[in-house]
Amino acid sequence: MKGLLGIVAGVVGLATLSLYRETIGFPMFYLVLLTTMLFWVTQATSWNILSGFSGYFSFGQAAYVGIGAYSTAVLYGRHGVSFYLTVLVGAGLCAVLALAMGTIAFRLRSLRGEIFALLTLAVPFILAALARINGDIDGGQGIIVPIPEFPAGIGLFQDYLYLLTLVVAGGAVAVAYAIYHSRFGWALRAVHDAEDVAEGLGVATFRYKLLALTASAVLGGIGGSLFALQIGFVAVDSIFHLTIPLFVIVMSVLGGRTHWFGPVVGVALVVLLQDRLTASGLGEWQLIALGTILVLLVIAAPEGMYARIRSRPLVALAAAVVVTAVLWFVRPEPLDALLGGLIAATAVAMWPRRKRAVPVTAPVPAQTDAKPPEVRVERPPPVELGAVVVEVAHVARYFGGVRALEDVSLTIREGEIVGLVGPNGSGKTTLVSMLSGTLRPTRGTIRVAGRDLAGLPPHKVAHVGISRTYQIPKPFASMTVRDNVAMALMFGRSPRPLAVARRDATEPLETVGLGRLADAYPASLNLHQRQLLEIARALAADPKVLLLDEALAGLNPAEIDNAVEVIRRVHEGGVSIVIVEHLLRVVNQLATRIVVLDRGTCLADDEPAKVLADPRVVSAYLGRRAHARDR
Amino acid sequence: MITVQAALSGLLLGGLYALMAAGVSVTWGVLRVINLALFGMMLISAYLTFAVATAWGVDPLVTLLVTVPAMFVLGGLVQLTFDALKITELNSLLLSFGLLIVIVQAVSNIWSADFQRMAADVNPYATEAVHIGRFVFPAPTLLAFGVAILVIGGAHLLLRRTFAGRAVRAFAEDRTVAATFGIDHRKVGVLLAAVAGAIAAVAGMLFSLGNALTPATAFEWFGTVFAVVILGGVGQVAGTLAAGLLVGLLSGVVSVTLSPAASPFVLFSAIILALLLRPQGLFAVRTVVR
Repeated sequence: MKGLLGIVAGVVGLATLSLYRETIGFPMFYLVLLTTMLFWVTQATSWNILSGFSGYFSFGQAAYVGIGAYSTAVLYGRHGVSFYLTVLVGAGLCAVLALAMGTIAFRLRSLRGEIFALLTLAVPFILAALARINGDIDGGQGIIVPIPEFPAGIGLFQDYLYLLTLVVAGGAVAVAYAIYHSRFGWALRAVHDAEDVAEGLGVATFRYKLLALTASAVLGGIGGSLFALQIGFVAVDSIFHLTIPLFVIVMSVLGGRTHWFGPVVGVALVVLLQDRLTASGLGEWQLIALGTILVLLVIAAPEGMYARIRSRPLVALAAAVVVTAVLWFVRPEPLDALLGGLIAATAVAMWPRRKRAVPVTAPVPAQTDAKPPEVRVERPPPVELGAVVVEVAHVARYFGGVRALEDVSLTIREGEIVGLVGPNGSGKTTLVSMLSGTLRPTRGTIRVAGRDLAGLPPHKVAHVGISRTYQIPKPFASMTVRDNVAMALMFGRSPRPLAVARRDATEPLETVGLGRLADAYPASLNLHQRQLLEIARALAADPKVLLLDEALAGLNPAEIDNAVEVIRRVHEGGVSIVIVEHLLRVVNQLATRIVVLDRGTCLADDEPAKVLADPRVVSAYLGRRAHARDR
Repeated sequence: MITVQAALSGLLLGGLYALMAAGVSVTWGVLRVINLALFGMMLISAYLTFAVATAWGVDPLVTLLVTVPAMFVLGGLVQLTFDALKITELNSLLLSFGLLIVIVQAVSNIWSADFQRMAADVNPYATEAVHIGRFVFPAPTLLAFGVAILVIGGAHLLLRRTFAGRAVRAFAEDRTVAATFGIDHRKVGVLLAAVAGAIAAVAGMLFSLGNALTPATAFEWFGTVFAVVILGGVGQVAGTLAAGLLVGLLSGVVSVTLSPAASPFVLFSAIILALLLRPQGLFAVRTVVR
């Protein structure tokens, strides 16, 4: 809320500069410069909503600017349609383009980010070719965009343009702010950090990405329509130019692309730099300077300025003020001085700080020094078996010519802990992936709680009641431990708002024993703690069945015993569990039933003691030559 | 009749497309970097060919003596930087985009943004053409086609038959495993990127034979080159050649039968279809995807 008020205050403040321009003697030249800045604020913010928040890089900003500018130029400039209507038309066309691009690129399974980036790289060129070759669109010569009528009280056309651009830029920043602070923003952040995990926890990633892309395109298009007024003459070469994506990328990366306000900071610096370079007759060095800045940023400070400035705001502000004042005294050109001040602030903000040793606040799990690892051999008390929750019937899965699974059937009842074991390559992970909806069976059906999984995207499968952990933990790196768990609650089977989800996250965290680390970031956790976080997060999604894919891999004996305790606690909470594990000791300790897979078929399915005594199981694990029968 | 001529011309032009795409495809597939700076290297080479041939009055082919070593070194240097920074795929795209912009603007500052073309007296190929029956093939296109087949065929054989080639392929499939078998990934990577740079130099030279140059050309290559890379399958050398020929053929025929305006659309639709139906590339050998 504070941020929104700030945006409104900023817009009002900037508006007075124009409305009382004569009274306060604000030079026209600055107003023009501010208009340019505001155009870029719209564009960079538009780019940031998709590419900054979700990590899907777009090089196609020029496409939206182009569509917006051409809609206005052709319809308003050539055919006299109302200007405001053409803004809507442009925005609508941008939305259509975004939906088409997104539907294609986001549906892909692999290389989504890269293909999307290349697709966006190609689109502006294709649009430019279309406009250049079809002379009917712009009459072949480019289009003059006349000045529209505007309310008389506003002053000059430049004032009108400034105010219009200001409103749009303010709107764009407000949209970014709203997205950043909503479920939508959290979903995009989760996509940025670990898309597959987000989908598995119930986030409808495809829909959110498509929405972000569309929002970005619409804002870019509206900005493009105003740009047509600003430049007054629209031709292919002035619009579909790579400087537009270059500028927005540099501005957002410089300012900080994970925060809604980052692009605004970047715009101020870049536009001022451009203006001063041009004024000093170094115009042809503009792009070289910007390209170099981009290269240096990617290398040195990929997280951008804004985050750094926020962590030492007073020093940065002081540097800016002092340097500006000194420069103004030396060279009485305020913009030069201001640019110097901004650069000084940037340098101060970016200056690498010494890393001080931080005392360890969170001790390692207590049991490593307390009691000696105690191996519980006694079985858990037999549980009442409930209804069937998972029903796998004659499922097969082929990868090209490789048969990963062939005719596997099994059922899982409420209250069971099923140990899924088998040699490497026996199809365990394939089965887990199919249960969680990321892979589709080639043949056969899987039902969860009576619902057929065929055709359900993974996030719907999560809502049916399956959640999984990953063998290699994939936490959302930009969120605290608590927020990692809160994500699952926000988007799980019973969605709830952020504040509630944060509060409710305490329970799963306590269950796995991570309560003390709730405010830490995943980077500071050790492997064991990360695996516990995986379990807590999966648990928070409120599953009927929890799939643990080698959740104990790489742990030491003490940690394993701790993890076994955690799994028991989760189970006592009423969740059925499928545990994929190599350590037979653990499976034997935990499982109420063991399923053995071997070369894609089900070798045994019975209670642990019987399975482990089965000679076929023993030979699959210990003796038989793997290539005796195949190939 | 015109259609057949267009198809054949397109096919020949496709050789150049394939050559331009080969370096991009291999560095993407094997090194996991999307190196847009290669477009800049093609541009520099094209301009250097123009400048050196014009200034010294030598045959444009001789300029390869300058451009190939230069781009070999530049390509290797870029890869060394990527390696030193342990850069991710998307960041490589971003970083090399910055590099490309710098290169294009530098070229524009040096040689101006106007169209430049080698004069007829230094470029003996521009005015030559081979007539076969009623078909005409301009010498630059024929030459480009021949060189493309040689270079790509050679690269294909190198990758298939030599130890270094096997090392590269092992590296592409699993770098960790390859490293444990004693393949120095940095050496292999830098060498490969340097070769990609050298190929870019050849492609730039061939382009300058038959076309007028302007700095923005580098950006205009994007669409075609990435179409070829994606259709051919990322990292597939032979696939790149086939895709290049296909793209050339398609653009040629569509330009004549429909209109030149339609050709980007047909190309684009082809990419989209290929992405949806065969994301591993049209000509890729079926592999196990897990």
